[in-house]
Amino acid sequence: MSGRRKIVAGRKLGDSRSIVTILATTFCAFAGMVSVTRQAPVPYALKYPANFGSRFTIPTDNPTTLEGVYLGRMLFYEKRLSANGKLSCESCHEQNRAFTDGRPVSMGVDGSFTPRSSMSLANLLWVRNFFWDGRSQSLEAQAAFPLTDPHEMGQTLAESVIKLQKTAPYPVIFQSAFGETGITEQNILKALAQFERTLISADAPYDRYLAGRYQPTEAELRGMQLFENGPDPKRGIRGANCGHCHGGPKMFKELFHNNGLDRAFADPGREKVTAQSMDKGRFRVPTLRNILLTAPYMHDGRFKTIEAVLDHYSEHIQQSETLSSFLQDVSNEEGGKNLSLAPQEKKDIIAFFGMLTDSTFVTNPAFSNPHSISKNR
Amino acid sequence: MQGIKKFSSKFFVCAALLSALVTHGYAQSTATLIVSGEVATPLELKAQDLASMKQISHKVKDRDGKEHEFKGVALIEILEKAGVTTGAKLRGENLAKYALITAADGYEVLYALAEIDPEFTDQMILLATEKDGQPLPSGEGPFRIIKPGDKKPARWIREVRSIKIAFAKN
Repeated sequence: MSGRRKIVAGRKLGDSRSIVTILATTFCAFAGMVSVTRQAPVPYALKYPANFGSRFTIPTDNPTTLEGVYLGRMLFYEKRLSANGKLSCESCHEQNRAFTDGRPVSMGVDGSFTPRSSMSLANLLWVRNFFWDGRSQSLEAQAAFPLTDPHEMGQTLAESVIKLQKTAPYPVIFQSAFGETGITEQNILKALAQFERTLISADAPYDRYLAGRYQPTEAELRGMQLFENGPDPKRGIRGANCGHCHGGPKMFKELFHNNGLDRAFADPGREKVTAQSMDKGRFRVPTLRNILLTAPYMHDGRFKTIEAVLDHYSEHIQQSETLSSFLQDVSNEEGGKNLSLAPQEKKDIIAFFGMLTDSTFVTNPAFSNPHSISKNR
Repeated sequence: MQGIKKFSSKFFVCAALLSALVTHGYAQSTATLIVSGEVATPLELKAQDLASMKQISHKVKDRDGKEHEFKGVALIEILEKAGVTTGAKLRGENLAKYALITAADGYEVLYALAEIDPEFTDQMILLATEKDGQPLPSGEGPFRIIKPGDKKPARWIREVRSIKIAFAKN
């Protein structure tokens, strides 16, 4: 008896076990389905060489994720974000030009021109003051300016939210990147910032040279020396001193200077932001990375060629009260007032600039227009 | 007639004052030094505020290879005015504090608090306002740091705009 009972009890136990198993399986399958739709975004690993350093801050409320970066890339190339449906960020920031537009200044939705030249978007992860005048302290805050400025893309963020909500893909993509909050004004800015943080340029010949994997040509080496050296005619050292403001592995420093373009400034530059007269005519010292791809040059795009830029620094610096002290009384001739570079020296510096062109960056498919793929089909 | 004249002159005085105020708000010509961060009292100092503090001077060789006399206020005095943890309070975790000094052009240099405090060092760091009896010229002043002990003057930061006291965090 006790044996049979045991068997019965065993069967009963077996039945209840199978029920538990079925229940558990069902639950797991259900939970699995839910987790497919509500999966937490996957962290995006930002990769950069050690010599770039890690002096950057990513806002804690906007971590970089695969989903957020993908959404940001979609939005970067999204013409629905402009008032006339004809402009996207790409209109002024083309990848093959290191995210500039080849124009002195750019045309907005209202047919008027922006006051300043489109800036290259490379290694923004490390930038702390955005725009030519440094008025914006984060990529999130920065993005709102070109989107809403009536002379640029000219559409309120509220209008952009409405337009995106009416599309098929965006509600889903926003949910995958930001969960329940979905399409909001802040999430548009956050996604764009996430994508822009991934625009890392670190594979130019110069990067490979610093890593010991590229042998520069003679002209490039001469140009590099001139770039780094300050001129010292008494000791027979020739130089252009470019590296003082543009140097370092990233080819930019977080600086604002009056580089002697004019005696009087039509555009006050950084003075408008700081309200200090010492800042009149000061503008951001831009990155020289991919510089041969980003003509025309200066905040107003006044120089069509890189040769004209070198002529400016060598012979045409204009005196004014706020002129950078690094551009005063610096010369390759004893007692000289101009930098006075020889024609061959200018050519050598330009040869060195060629080492700053990062072909990997300007052809990286991860930064390209995701919409054109579907259009081509 | 007399009344109208009086009124119009008053009006012009008011307009002149108003426009002066507006221009002042737009382009502030008097440079300000901001002291912020881990301080008891954040400060906004102008040249005249510094002139009323105890003055010291250093004779040092500058970048041009020539000796100059720099005059101004000891940096420690400014930190004490802001209530930074110096002197007896500069111990324990406060030894992981630094002063990040920023120039008008964005250039930055850093000194650990212990490098500034006279209980740790004989090198009195100076916030200079004068060079050889003259106010510091534009491009260098109105405020510049001078640290006599540094062999390389890269931390003698010119056009100082702000001093931020912070904890090193990692």
